[in-house]
Amino acid sequence: MTTIEPVKSTDPTPPGAKLTFDWSDFPWWFIGIVLTVAFPIYKVLTDENWNEGFLFIKDGITLTFSVTIGGFAIAMIVGLGLSLARMSPRLIPRNLAIYYIELIRGIPVLVTIIMFGLVIVPWFFNLVGISLQSTIGSKAIRASVAIGLIYAAFIAEVLRAGIESVGVGQREAGKAVGLNGRQVFRFIVWPQAIKNIMPALGNDLIALLKDSSLVSILAVRELTQMSRLWTGRSFQFFAGFMILAAMYLTLTVSLSMLLQWYERRIATP
Amino acid sequence: MKKLTSIFILALAVALVATACSSGDESLDGRTVSVGVENLYPPFNYIDEDTGEGAGFDYDIWREICSRLDCTAEFAEAGWPAVIEETGQGAYDTAADGISITDERKEVVAFSDPYMTTIQKIMVRVDETRYADSDAFFASGDRLGTQVGTTNYELAASLTDEGNIEAYESFPIAVLALLSGDVDGVIIDDVAGQGYLGEGSEGVAILDGDLQSDPLGFIYAQDSDLIEPVNKVIADMKSDGTLDDLITKWFVEFDA
Repeated sequence: MTTIEPVKSTDPTPPGAKLTFDWSDFPWWFIGIVLTVAFPIYKVLTDENWNEGFLFIKDGITLTFSVTIGGFAIAMIVGLGLSLARMSPRLIPRNLAIYYIELIRGIPVLVTIIMFGLVIVPWFFNLVGISLQSTIGSKAIRASVAIGLIYAAFIAEVLRAGIESVGVGQREAGKAVGLNGRQVFRFIVWPQAIKNIMPALGNDLIALLKDSSLVSILAVRELTQMSRLWTGRSFQFFAGFMILAAMYLTLTVSLSMLLQWYERRIATP
Repeated sequence: MKKLTSIFILALAVALVATACSSGDESLDGRTVSVGVENLYPPFNYIDEDTGEGAGFDYDIWREICSRLDCTAEFAEAGWPAVIEETGQGAYDTAADGISITDERKEVVAFSDPYMTTIQKIMVRVDETRYADSDAFFASGDRLGTQVGTTNYELAASLTDEGNIEAYESFPIAVLALLSGDVDGVIIDDVAGQGYLGEGSEGVAILDGDLQSDPLGFIYAQDSDLIEPVNKVIADMKSDGTLDDLITKWFVEFDA
């Protein structure tokens, strides 16, 4: 009596499945972000005051980028050294690394920037006789180094987690095929570690970009300082800080999407 | 006998002040007036090291104004230059921070009549020998520090390339940058500069040469009802010498 055709309920891709669209997966939040940024963009395009503000503030992007890129490069290099010292079996390097990491993590970022940029470096450079107005003493460099040294402490811990996530068997295998310690790290451990910690490193890069606004306290003309200069003379606080926030939001969301794309690209299939 | 005389004089003074107060038709009926101050701009307003309380010219003058108008001055710490916008929006009834009266600011806030005038000058390190006066400073094209959003910044921008100007969060930081060599001069109102000469910063001096003089006023929201009564008190204080006494106390004799 089984004349009815059995339904192929087990077929993973029933016909027509590709045409249905699950709206609950749709990135509504992204539409929200776009709309949030769209308002200041609309005002910049149509309102003379907002337009003037944008044209003034946008020049700060050069320094925001250089502080971010310079700072992140310093943070990666110093952070790698710190993480290796942190994992060292030797007493002094390990304790020095932990001391530095705890010191930086225990002091607010803004306080460290003021201390480093306005007090310690000026004191030291005057002591050894380097002009603060020379290139090496410039506040743009001080700002990048300050941010870099702060994020080195954060990144050191991320790198340590990444390096420790690579199984001991991998190192032993490397040794077994005749690689020395340096080569094992360079060709076996490092590529796997970086892959594992890409999301965390990306987070730190975005956080660093946002914290670059704090160096405005050194009167460095990055985006935040430029908007303070503009609002200080125009009193257009609403326009000035809306434009500034929209610029940061555009930068961070784009960077986040770029990083997600890169994570997928390097992900193990 | 001497004591009796002094008591008599005191009683007379009290009676006089009392009549002076009651004869004034303006009274604020004991209401509280919030006064925005920065507390980073000595000797106008700063936190006294010994007491931990706010002190300065702005505190004294607003207490005096309120004692004459029957109000209570309540001081609130505000950031510069946002305090101008905030006062315009009504966050404070008034604000005092040695605020120069300018046409741009008049679009945002109402000003009182000027209570004093400052002259902008250049402050340098005490061992500075390169500049004979402020003209020589600008001719050199050397780096100049100031505070963000001030008429000092605007004046500097009109006298030198804007790339030579460093705009700091507050004046104390600009003076710190001068002392450590980030900048070679700080453009400053002479009365505030006087404060630093007395404030224990033995490291600074003021160059000869006046740049621009600015009348200073208190600010209010455009529709404030304080403008008229306070203007009247300012006029009274000018004529009875109280204002001169306060200016002498804070800008001539001041030595914190």
